[in-house]
Amino acid sequence: MKYPLQIGDKDLIVEIEESGKPRTVSAKVDDQTWPVSYRAVSPNTLHLEVDGTALKVCLAGRNGEKHIFIKGRVFTVSEKSRQFEKGISRRKADFSPGEVTPPMPAVVVRILVEEGDWVVQGQGLIVVSAMKMETTLKAPVEGKVWKIKTTLQAKVMPGDRLVEIKEGAKDE
Amino acid sequence: MFKKILIANRGEIAVRIMRTCREMGIETVAVYSAADEAALHVLEADQALFLGPSEPAESYLNSDRLIRAAKDSGAEAIHPGYGFLAENADFAEACERAGLVFVGPPGPVIRNLGNKTVARRIMLEAGVPVIPGMMTPSSDHQVLIAEAEKIGYPVIIKAEAGGGGKGMRIVADQASLEESFFSCQSEAEKAFGNGTLYLEKHLQNPRHIEFQILADHHGNVVHLFERECSIQRRHQKIIEETPSSMMTPELRQRMGQAAVAAAKASGYRNAGTVEFLVNQEGLFYFLEVNTRLQVEHPITEMTTGKDLVREQLTVAWGDPLSFTQEELFQQGHALECRIYAENPEADFFPSPGLVLFLQEPFGPGVRNDCGIYSGFEVPVEYDPILSKLIVHGPDREAARQRMIRALEQYAILGIRTTIPFLLDVLQTPAFARGETFTDFIDRHFPTWKQSEETARLAALAYAIDEMIGNGRKPERMITQGVPSPWETLGHWRMEKP
Repeated sequence: MKYPLQIGDKDLIVEIEESGKPRTVSAKVDDQTWPVSYRAVSPNTLHLEVDGTALKVCLAGRNGEKHIFIKGRVFTVSEKSRQFEKGISRRKADFSPGEVTPPMPAVVVRILVEEGDWVVQGQGLIVVSAMKMETTLKAPVEGKVWKIKTTLQAKVMPGDRLVEIKEGAKDE
Repeated sequence: MFKKILIANRGEIAVRIMRTCREMGIETVAVYSAADEAALHVLEADQALFLGPSEPAESYLNSDRLIRAAKDSGAEAIHPGYGFLAENADFAEACERAGLVFVGPPGPVIRNLGNKTVARRIMLEAGVPVIPGMMTPSSDHQVLIAEAEKIGYPVIIKAEAGGGGKGMRIVADQASLEESFFSCQSEAEKAFGNGTLYLEKHLQNPRHIEFQILADHHGNVVHLFERECSIQRRHQKIIEETPSSMMTPELRQRMGQAAVAAAKASGYRNAGTVEFLVNQEGLFYFLEVNTRLQVEHPITEMTTGKDLVREQLTVAWGDPLSFTQEELFQQGHALECRIYAENPEADFFPSPGLVLFLQEPFGPGVRNDCGIYSGFEVPVEYDPILSKLIVHGPDREAARQRMIRALEQYAILGIRTTIPFLLDVLQTPAFARGETFTDFIDRHFPTWKQSEETARLAALAYAIDEMIGNGRKPERMITQGVPSPWETLGHWRMEKP
């Protein structure tokens, strides 16, 4: 079995081969190969023995993206071929340069511009608040505020398009 | 003693207060907003009352609704926890007017100490060393320039009504004072509705050391030693410890006496904290008094064997303190790590959301004051603190190793937390040597990325989990329900040996 995976910006390929013995496999991660035995302790925990070293792993999530805990570290691992199930990783590439989205789940506390306003790059558009911390979302480009697609007190998520700016230089 | 009290707070601190109440046979009333219907503090209380919508102004900051809830439930007292209305003099007075005991100092004391220049005057009169600086705030930048000339650069501009790093700037020389003045003024106006400023001498690389105090209604005031809280990011503490690695018995005695003098001069009652900055030469200066229980109070509890919430309730009831200064002593070393829902790889941006899985650390000397469970949606509206992890060990190094061990057991999945970052901080040689100054994070961690060391193992675990179909089990998405009392009740109580 071959699993093309992604952790952050890093691609990793894991290949697993049965060893013939119960709950024991040979696993190749990139260029390293280890003998691995495993036991599912609960739906969220695995006990692994990797090349003779015991390891307790906690896992959550599914549908091609899992959060994996090992000794205080947490990794978000996704399967490359399944990233479009369940809207995983709404990438920057999906956005046109004039669209603005919050970096984290937040509440809209102030809207600083109106539709039709002319804004310059870096100008504040919307202030969102998350867990008592306020962040100003700034215009990524110069242009005209084409659409404001949110309201005060709205709960917004990364990937939501809050403001659309029609890019261009002011010609007067 | 009180039969029933209302806890005007949420999350881990509300749960922590309830634990002591339960041990004392006091019934607890929780309050909650729309975002917190299934929060742990609601599930742990004997009774829970709905306050209103999730915006703080409509719920946890709404003094009228809190007082009405207390009256409706028959509570005799209100414990404010920390944050929200804990340091609001008007709220303390409104409680008293409604015939409710406010578990904290009297309103006028909160008001005086909350006003930074008034507090500085009180301390100066009591002979407590204060940082050289202005005793009267001003909204004229010429006044600040003249003062800065007098005390010498660098200086720090602060807002009269300040807090949380807002309206605050370090100024290196006269050339940049004017510009800093105006940006502080505008920040302070926006944040506090008051743009008056003052300035103080800026101490370079100080340590933040505070003293826990307790004062009763009978004139008894004691201190419960120091806590060092130098490890901060954005002026917020993230790791605290006691004793401080720089403390000597002689300095402890002098600072403790200053803290007690500060409490007496301000007419203090109940639990409070006197904060100081200490420079390299061991000179200490009054910073401010926090008129409430501190987030980091458990490290004092671990090393003194005293339950500070129990002491707060005893004092609020009117009983005298049950111990004297001479009877207090510290044993061993305690550390606290604040576990925040934040992404340390992205400048500590908040990370609210659904907790998919939680595994709390346990074992000898470990206490976790936690406000979440698997399946809880951490709301976007409130402070990002999820829990406080506290360890106690025979000495600093043993406590440090124990904290590393406990953090390595602590799994919170679904949201980002500060746990991996805290692990790296604890493992730096500078931290191990006790070289903890307030610029620690900026100096050692200007940016931070998680180590890739275990990334391959995580990939391997993904593949094994997928292969055996463990992740497709219906129980997987979240572990269902609320933790049992066996998981949520602490295992931390320390009595004097």
